[in-house]
Amino acid sequence: MNLIDIIEQNTLWPLTGGIHPAEMKHLSNQTTIARLPLAKTFYIPLPQVGDSALLVVKVGDRVLKGQPLTKSAGAMYLAAHAPTSGLITAITPHASNHPSALPELTCIIEADGKDESVPYHSAAAQELSKEELIARIREAGIAGMGGAMFPSHIKLRPAAKIELLIINGVECEPYISSDDRLMREHAANIVAGIEIIQQLIGARRIVIAIEDNKAEAAAAMTSAIAQSAALKPIALVRVIPTKYPSGGEKQLIQIITGKEVPSGSIPAQLGIVVHNVGTAYAIRDAVVEGKPLIERVVTVTGGNIEQNGNYWLPIGTPVSHVLQQLKLRKDKQAQVIVGGPMMGYALPDANVPVLKGTNCLLIPKRNELTHASAERACIRCGECAQVCPASLLPQQLYWHAKAEEYDKANAFNLQDCIECGCCAFVCPSEIPLVKYYRVAKAAIRKDRAEKVQAEQAKIRFEARIARLEQEKQEREAKAKEAAERRKAAMNNDDKDAVAAALARVQAKKQAQATTAPSNDAIAAAVARAKAKKQQAISATDTATDDKKSQVAAAIARAKAKKAQASASDTSAASASTLDTPAQDSKQAQIAAAVARAKAKKAAQTAPAQNNEVADKLATDGVEQINSTNDKAARVAAAVARAKAKKTAATESSVESAEAPSTDQKAQVAAPDDKAARVAAAVARAKAKKAAQTDEQAASETTLTEAPATQEKADEKQAKIAAAIAKAKAKKAVLSGSDDAEQTEAMSKQADDNSESSSVSAADAKKARIAAAVAKAKAKKAAEQDNQENQS
Amino acid sequence: MLTAVVLLTLLALVFGVILGFAAEKFRVEGNPIVDQLEALLPQTQCGQCGFPGCRPYAEAIANGEKINRCPPGGTATMEKLADLMGVEPEPLSAEAQDQTKKVAFIREEECIGCTKCIQACPVDAIVGAGKLMHTVLTVNCTGCDLCVEPCPVDCIDMIPVAQNTRSWDWRLNAIPVKTL
Amino acid sequence: MALNIASSPHMSKPLRTSTVMQRVLLCALPGLAVQIAFFGWGTLFQVLLAMLTALISESAIMKLRARPVASALSDNSALLTALLIGVAVPPLAPWWLTVIGTAFAIIIVKQLYGGLGNNLFNPAMAAYVVLLIAFPVQMTSWVAPISIAEHSPQLLESLRIILAGTQISVADTFQQGIDGFTMATPLDTLRTDLSQGHVISDILQKSAFNGVVGAGWFWVNLAYLFGGLLMLKMRLIRWHISAGVLGALSICAAIGWMWEPATHVSPLMHLFSGATMLGAFFIATDPVTAATSNKGRVIFGAIIGLLVYLIRSYGGYPDAFAFAVLLANLTAPLLDYYIKPRTYGHGRASS
Repeated sequence: MNLIDIIEQNTLWPLTGGIHPAEMKHLSNQTTIARLPLAKTFYIPLPQVGDSALLVVKVGDRVLKGQPLTKSAGAMYLAAHAPTSGLITAITPHASNHPSALPELTCIIEADGKDESVPYHSAAAQELSKEELIARIREAGIAGMGGAMFPSHIKLRPAAKIELLIINGVECEPYISSDDRLMREHAANIVAGIEIIQQLIGARRIVIAIEDNKAEAAAAMTSAIAQSAALKPIALVRVIPTKYPSGGEKQLIQIITGKEVPSGSIPAQLGIVVHNVGTAYAIRDAVVEGKPLIERVVTVTGGNIEQNGNYWLPIGTPVSHVLQQLKLRKDKQAQVIVGGPMMGYALPDANVPVLKGTNCLLIPKRNELTHASAERACIRCGECAQVCPASLLPQQLYWHAKAEEYDKANAFNLQDCIECGCCAFVCPSEIPLVKYYRVAKAAIRKDRAEKVQAEQAKIRFEARIARLEQEKQEREAKAKEAAERRKAAMNNDDKDAVAAALARVQAKKQAQATTAPSNDAIAAAVARAKAKKQQAISATDTATDDKKSQVAAAIARAKAKKAQASASDTSAASASTLDTPAQDSKQAQIAAAVARAKAKKAAQTAPAQNNEVADKLATDGVEQINSTNDKAARVAAAVARAKAKKTAATESSVESAEAPSTDQKAQVAAPDDKAARVAAAVARAKAKKAAQTDEQAASETTLTEAPATQEKADEKQAKIAAAIAKAKAKKAVLSGSDDAEQTEAMSKQADDNSESSSVSAADAKKARIAAAVAKAKAKKAAEQDNQENQS
Repeated sequence: MLTAVVLLTLLALVFGVILGFAAEKFRVEGNPIVDQLEALLPQTQCGQCGFPGCRPYAEAIANGEKINRCPPGGTATMEKLADLMGVEPEPLSAEAQDQTKKVAFIREEECIGCTKCIQACPVDAIVGAGKLMHTVLTVNCTGCDLCVEPCPVDCIDMIPVAQNTRSWDWRLNAIPVKTL
Repeated sequence: MALNIASSPHMSKPLRTSTVMQRVLLCALPGLAVQIAFFGWGTLFQVLLAMLTALISESAIMKLRARPVASALSDNSALLTALLIGVAVPPLAPWWLTVIGTAFAIIIVKQLYGGLGNNLFNPAMAAYVVLLIAFPVQMTSWVAPISIAEHSPQLLESLRIILAGTQISVADTFQQGIDGFTMATPLDTLRTDLSQGHVISDILQKSAFNGVVGAGWFWVNLAYLFGGLLMLKMRLIRWHISAGVLGALSICAAIGWMWEPATHVSPLMHLFSGATMLGAFFIATDPVTAATSNKGRVIFGAIIGLLVYLIRSYGGYPDAFAFAVLLANLTAPLLDYYIKPRTYGHGRASS
């Protein structure tokens, strides 16, 4: 049976479940819709700004009534307008009209009282195209005024063919009478709005549903329809029996057509669209008068208010202003409910704005609605299931929601609960069932979001792994190629060229170190980077190594910066020494300190070469290095990262112990022990690699033989090792000695002056050994360098 | 005596055939338990379990690894894992974690553009290039913490995700009482 | 002014649990009155004794569980359990029988399962079964209806007998049951005689029966039926369970009766004997231990009706409500799991 036949039959289907609460509409529906004095401050929430919309005003702007505050091209865009003229004093998070009152981005307008309006451009609806109509409605920021606040322009452009348009004037909630009064007083305008909706969606039948307790409204609408030539043949007013919650969209469709909206879909799939009478009215205003949605009818009622009635309230009016104007009775405990007593929420904060979906403000006397009593045990009486309009089993949902067994609650179709509150209304144990469902629904929503994110994370993770794998293969292929090339070039003067380049770098660095100790570290870093780069050039093509040297440089800079940051935290003594020259020299000093710290750390553990961890790490490194020579560069990068990590890990303890007194060095060394071991391992790994890649070196070289091997190694490899040793030296010093000593040591080391170490003067024996080892390495390197130069 | 022997033999034969048939007919493909386990894990890929990602940990659980090694999943995940594996729930091995979801945030004025965090991020949720400022795509951040340590200038903070009106959990009791 | 926060709905018009229980108690009064009229004052004392025990054990256990005592007592559910035990035990049973039964019902069956709403079994019926199995002699010696008894104890005499706590010898009451004032119940007599090869028409001639149904029992059942209808009218219960019980029992009895009337009693006999009406309206309808959906409740009731018929006709016990209810209680979670109403928008493709 199709929809048209159903409507023609003129039958009504019964609502499943439902209740008959006291209506209480007489409190507010006796008087005509009135106006209140304007508030001084208006709060216009802009939840879409920062998400899908842009602000078009700024703080300090003067805005006129009806002036748009945002713009967006997004489909879900809901325009916001200034409800009156005034000054924007702030655009800041402010308590929202929401059960949580969590702050939301809000435009705060200080009204100037003039209520000046922007000019509205009126038009004749019949002459506008569908696109123009939609555009006008969209610009006017019209949203579902039954409470859902869903942008109307989306609902007015349905994907499916619409057979039946239902205009919802049911207003089944007790106390609320805003739609009732609107229909009584503005039936013609509502009908004009319905005509526009009809023009847009072209439904074959229109049903205006009104409950039988609003006879006057039904009569007004009937006569208004009779006067409309366009609607007369296809529209009819259908009076339905008063029962809560007949006004729910799904329930209303069931009553009018006997059909059920499938779970998880929208009425449009059945060829039905439901609009609220208030929305129809606002659409007419927007299209015909060009007036945006900046005010609405709000029922203000309840025993704690003296002047019950309906009021035109500008959107953004603070609730507290309304209460003040309507003489709130003094009471110790108050409740301000937004919406009706069945589905409305109690506001935690009254300084929140009236929204487009706010149809009622209910301020009940104490015990007017119900006196709060404690929740008791569920006796499974099943009354809730009898009244549930969605035919759920509320008591089962309650058990599962309470036990937080949300998947089980889902199995009982919790998501189909419309939160109408019928179950809680009849519950003999006075259990706030809806509260449990909301918590459960929120938890399920969160779970779902997390699941989606987890899935996304997994996809991204796998994509990343695949990408890294691909990159690795590409690199290997390239390295292989390069290795072959190098083999071929081994006998050429390529080798000499590389050696010469490295020598130049070394020489330059030494010169800088001797002349300007303060610039030492920068020079060192640059040199290191260059050396690395050179090395890389010899192995691979320029593209990759350029990047690598950049990374290395960045690391050096980062280290310097970090050291600087930590230094500023430390004692004044070290700070004063640091502050001395210009900015860059200071940084250089710190960098130098860092570098030396590394050397120290490395050296401390160097004598103790039976350390298992170190050995293991080193072997791992060797294994990696075995494959190609080129990998060395990557390993070096990894080492650098590892070092940075270690330093960071021990940073806090180092900072606390960093007072210049030399006594504390031992303490510092302890937490650094692990880092040092790693560093040592790395150093050894490199030595081994050097040995291995060298044609002269034997492949069976062991870790303990590293220094010996190094002696045999060719100039290039030795230099690399030296550079690394120096880098380490820098790091180690961070944990210890004072700055004067650092620079001194650094320069001496660079100078290859191995006679006396100032560190050793104050430091323990271990440190001395460390320094000695580091110096030995440096010396060796320098010697080889010299030989190189001479040759 | 003979009948008994024959009968038993026949029975054995029949059951053998049935079992063999069932084994063929209802054979389980692959190792779905790993997939099920992986579906329960939070996919932060944080490696706090000691395995390089969620999948390896799921495989390890299937091979008898402990179920209490996933700090991001928290007690809830641990219980689900225990349920699936049919073992007793155990308290989380890591120190008690607060379960609030966090995302990484880069203090952009301090970022030096070293790309270390980019390399550390298991889900590619950090964008940026060398020497240029980096930033975290909050929607993709799993809050795994892995980018915090590599940062040489410590400019990455783990910031708890703030509640908004859409993600609010309806805990009415948590709202402070205000006066009019 | 402090702003109150509460979850919607802010309005409610519940029939509170305590009120429901209270009204159920009132609806049981006609039945109780008729029972007293036919079987003497003993029943009244048993009910009062059971209520006293119930209140004492409930407060004691709530105190032990560190829960609010007053709220538990004020829901009147313990009183209802006590009433059911009081009318179910023989009117002149020794006092300790009632006390043990009621304490068991409240402490073990109800509170140890988590209190009101969490118990799996109907407390009154579980207690009855325990008493029946532990003290079969005391539990089966029912008093003869005043109308046919040679001698009926008066008010104080009943009290004295109950408080004396002595066992009344009922060894010979199974035969004809005239030893003064106790006898087997009509259903008991029926099954004993049937097992001895008598036919129904002969048995019904005995003084325990007034032609068609057991003497006195007919009126007791009628009074409980009246109370039950009153509860339906007051919407204290829904019709589903009671209709299931009575419907299944009648249908089974009718089939048996038509098939072999010599050994199977008429549906009328079944409907107005023993605890049928009390069970159908006051015991089986306990919402805590029943199924929750409408369809589930009809099935739940039908299971009880069927079991009652089977146990009465072929089982080892004369009346079967307690067993039937307990067995049906076991099925309730299953029924709730499998029988769910079709949720709005599910199934039936929006025709």
